[in-house]
Amino acid sequence: MTVDPNAATRGFPEPARRGPHPARYLVPALVGGAVAVGLGVYGKAHDPAGTAFDLAGFSSTGAVKAWLASAAMFFALVQLVSALMLYGKLPGPVWSAALHRWSGRAAFLIAVPVAVHCLYALGYQTYETRVMWHSVLGCFFFGAFSAKMLLLRWERLPGWLLPIVGGLVFAVLTVIWLTSALWFFRTFGVTT
Amino acid sequence: MKRPGPLLTLLAGLVLGLSLLTIDATTSTTAPTSPYRDRSPSPAPLRSTVSPAPAPAATPSRPPDGDYAGRTDDDAAAVAVSVRGGRAIAYFCDGRTQESWLKGDVNADGALRLTGPHGTRLTGTLRDGARIEGAVGVGGERHAFTADRAEKPSGLWRATATVRSAKIDGGWIVLRDGSQVGVLTRDGEPSPAPRVDPRTGAVTVDGQHLTARPATP
Repeated sequence: MTVDPNAATRGFPEPARRGPHPARYLVPALVGGAVAVGLGVYGKAHDPAGTAFDLAGFSSTGAVKAWLASAAMFFALVQLVSALMLYGKLPGPVWSAALHRWSGRAAFLIAVPVAVHCLYALGYQTYETRVMWHSVLGCFFFGAFSAKMLLLRWERLPGWLLPIVGGLVFAVLTVIWLTSALWFFRTFGVTT
Repeated sequence: MKRPGPLLTLLAGLVLGLSLLTIDATTSTTAPTSPYRDRSPSPAPLRSTVSPAPAPAATPSRPPDGDYAGRTDDDAAAVAVSVRGGRAIAYFCDGRTQESWLKGDVNADGALRLTGPHGTRLTGTLRDGARIEGAVGVGGERHAFTADRAEKPSGLWRATATVRSAKIDGGWIVLRDGSQVGVLTRDGEPSPAPRVDPRTGAVTVDGQHLTARPATP
């Protein structure tokens, strides 16, 4: 089943119906905020363990995370392209909706282990500009992503909302990648 | 109408995250949490002249090079460590009378064990190339410290020279906020060090211009 995200809003111009359901926007926003703040508080409050379990075949935890983050970033780029296809800005195949959904799931599920390691082993740190932005935006990303997932559950949304939130999630992930994986590759070399 | 897909995605991520966290929490309980638990009670050798056989040539993962600087937890002194190619030097300094240069090896797992004159010891762990946590034992006292990764101009500086027939040895720890902790010894007599220019290393000692250099192993 393919879903045209524009169809519902265009076919249903009901300005009066938006009023009675502020929860549609409020709940995702509140949950997203709670997720972001909760992750930050956990990262700040608990004592960083310094280490966590490692994947075989990589020289260091940093390398594992840099490559996983890069894979997530790749799927995020697929997200951008497939979203442009869905909104008709680019020519795309009929399965671009499925591509968008599954590349998004892949990016999210790949990012989760990286975030778990960050929060468990390193925690929320602010000792450097790069590290501070990475900590802040890392927490913000999962909040914004949760908000977007919850917004997606409703089909009748203003047409501009999902592109804005999706673009925000993509932009934040990009900065997170720049401040971590790219920094890692530039500092330690492109190692596995 | 509600779609279940996005919520399932979120729940899948939540379950994955929690299970990874559980694995982390259960596997790391066996790891040593204190870097100085296994400190030997016997007095340390004054200075090891022969390093105990350098690590095997094939070192798949050597600790990353870097400089680290920070204060002791009791805020009485500063500690800086410089790591290069699996070897490290460290400087412990209270900015007034107490200072010690230490050196030793860094293991592949990030464990440091440095020794200095008069039984001074530093044990610590390099964590993810971001900071060193550990403790310095000097003069019978133990100072726990955390040293974060330092970028120039912060870090460890040293200047040695002979000024008016006195042997000058100065060490400075420049912290991230720009503050400095340094001690200058004249023929082994310590005193607070004059301020060093962290951009050029220029420092004036007894009217003589010297240049301090970043200290490396």
